[in-house]
Amino acid sequence: MKASSYPNRNPIPARAGIGLRHPHYEAVLERLPEVGWFEVHSENYFGESCPPHHYLEQVRNRYPLSLHGVGLSLGSTDELNVRHLEKLKALIERFEPGLISEHLCWSSAGGRYLNDLLPLPYTEEALTLVVARTAEVQEYLGRQILIENLSSYLEYTESTMPEWEFLVEVARRSGCGILLDVNNIYVSAKNHGLDAYAYIARTPGDLVQEIHLAGFSVNCFVSHGNGSGAILIDTHSTPVAEEVWRLYGWTVDRIGRKPTLIEWDSELPPLDLLLNEACRAERILEASYVLAA
Amino acid sequence: MSSLRNLQERFAEAMLDPRTTGAELDIRANGLDGARRLGIYRNNIVNSFTEALRACYPVVDRLVGGRFFNYAARAYLRAYPSRSGDLREYGSHFAHFLQGFAPAKGLAYLPDMARLEWARQLVYHAPDAKPLDLSALAAIALEHHAQLRFKLSPFAQLLSSHYPLLKIWEVNQADFEDDQAVDLAMVGTRLLIIRRGLSIEMQALGSGEYALLRNLAEGKTLGEAYEQTAEFEPAFDLAEALKRHVLGQSLVGFYLQ
Repeated sequence: MKASSYPNRNPIPARAGIGLRHPHYEAVLERLPEVGWFEVHSENYFGESCPPHHYLEQVRNRYPLSLHGVGLSLGSTDELNVRHLEKLKALIERFEPGLISEHLCWSSAGGRYLNDLLPLPYTEEALTLVVARTAEVQEYLGRQILIENLSSYLEYTESTMPEWEFLVEVARRSGCGILLDVNNIYVSAKNHGLDAYAYIARTPGDLVQEIHLAGFSVNCFVSHGNGSGAILIDTHSTPVAEEVWRLYGWTVDRIGRKPTLIEWDSELPPLDLLLNEACRAERILEASYVLAA
Repeated sequence: MSSLRNLQERFAEAMLDPRTTGAELDIRANGLDGARRLGIYRNNIVNSFTEALRACYPVVDRLVGGRFFNYAARAYLRAYPSRSGDLREYGSHFAHFLQGFAPAKGLAYLPDMARLEWARQLVYHAPDAKPLDLSALAAIALEHHAQLRFKLSPFAQLLSSHYPLLKIWEVNQADFEDDQAVDLAMVGTRLLIIRRGLSIEMQALGSGEYALLRNLAEGKTLGEAYEQTAEFEPAFDLAEALKRHVLGQSLVGFYLQ
């Protein structure tokens, strides 16, 4: 079955949404803010019928919802974790999300989980693996998934193709969609001396179904003999940077309006700050001159 | 073995044990050498495991202090690497780990506190359950009562300790303002930890009541459980205790076998 033909009864609008974390549950339900949709980390709801479900149910009754996974380990050479997939499927059946996403990464080796989003070498071997596993996951869930590009702090010597090419190939061969994280592209491009605009220019807009925006932190280092430098770390703990807003505006003008998420996961600010960021994304979406692809 | 599998194994090893070498050779230097780049990942990973553990064990953290907790968390990561993509499962062995963790020997009640905090996690994330069918229970003939077995609620946990655990937990809450001194010679604790609506209740039980629930939770019949209970408390009021725990939903099912 071609993944794009998997049914989706609850599409996410091409508006700005925010990542929902538990300290904001009550403020959201009390104020019912004017925001297009919410996204949550799937794994935070892997318990059954527990208090987190109680809140999510109320949010879901009022807003479109997207499920964003951080633990499936799509790019790992370990067996696909069936228990993890079962829990994800149960969550999908219960909350009927408009979008389901995972990361272009691996996080376990030999059964040991590092519970982090680790980059893959961009090789034919890794591509074949990710395509097969993505197809398997979509088949199991009966839904198309989106795959998100990471921010990374290293590149492998083994890689034979650029990340954008790998990501686009995964989408083309498996039928999955792309979750384009514009901040991650910015962070990785800075860290590896690449061109963020070229990355996006080469990613076909029709494969992109969602955009992520977040803030990063800067780690300065002194390198032995090589002078000093800085690595940008994708901390999701600060507002979206001005350069990233610029890159986002350019992206939307190029590929059209897409559901856009403001992510903020650590050092969580008051809800209003997130809503302000979402407002800014919404204004950029409204001002864009290209219709959604 | 595939080249990708080798690379991932080397990387994981380098994350869990900073002394291993080899993984840095897979990485392009490009201004910062491979070992330093791996260090960024190791730092992120160790921090996120440490914070995940701290979120499950806030009282343990408070009892030992942040720096000691970080130290214990690193040792725990080496001893019990995560086995799940669901980070909520990561802290499940922490009490057991603390039991054998020599630097924490001075705080004898620490492993029990970790047990209590893990029980609270389990209760918080446990599924709901339908209340016990009272009319079906009433229909059971008297002569079968001793053969009844009961099901402990999925959102309830039982825990006993030789230490005044509940008191220690209470005085270590951020909003506790009274005298923090706890007399460790106080009697031990027997607790029913149960979810009520969206919050978690910890109820101190008498020795008879605890023995009753513990035995029922282990699958013993009401008759067997009562025998054990009567050993602790000869005057134990079984009917009253059963009623309280059925209506309070610590017991959510029964069966005859």
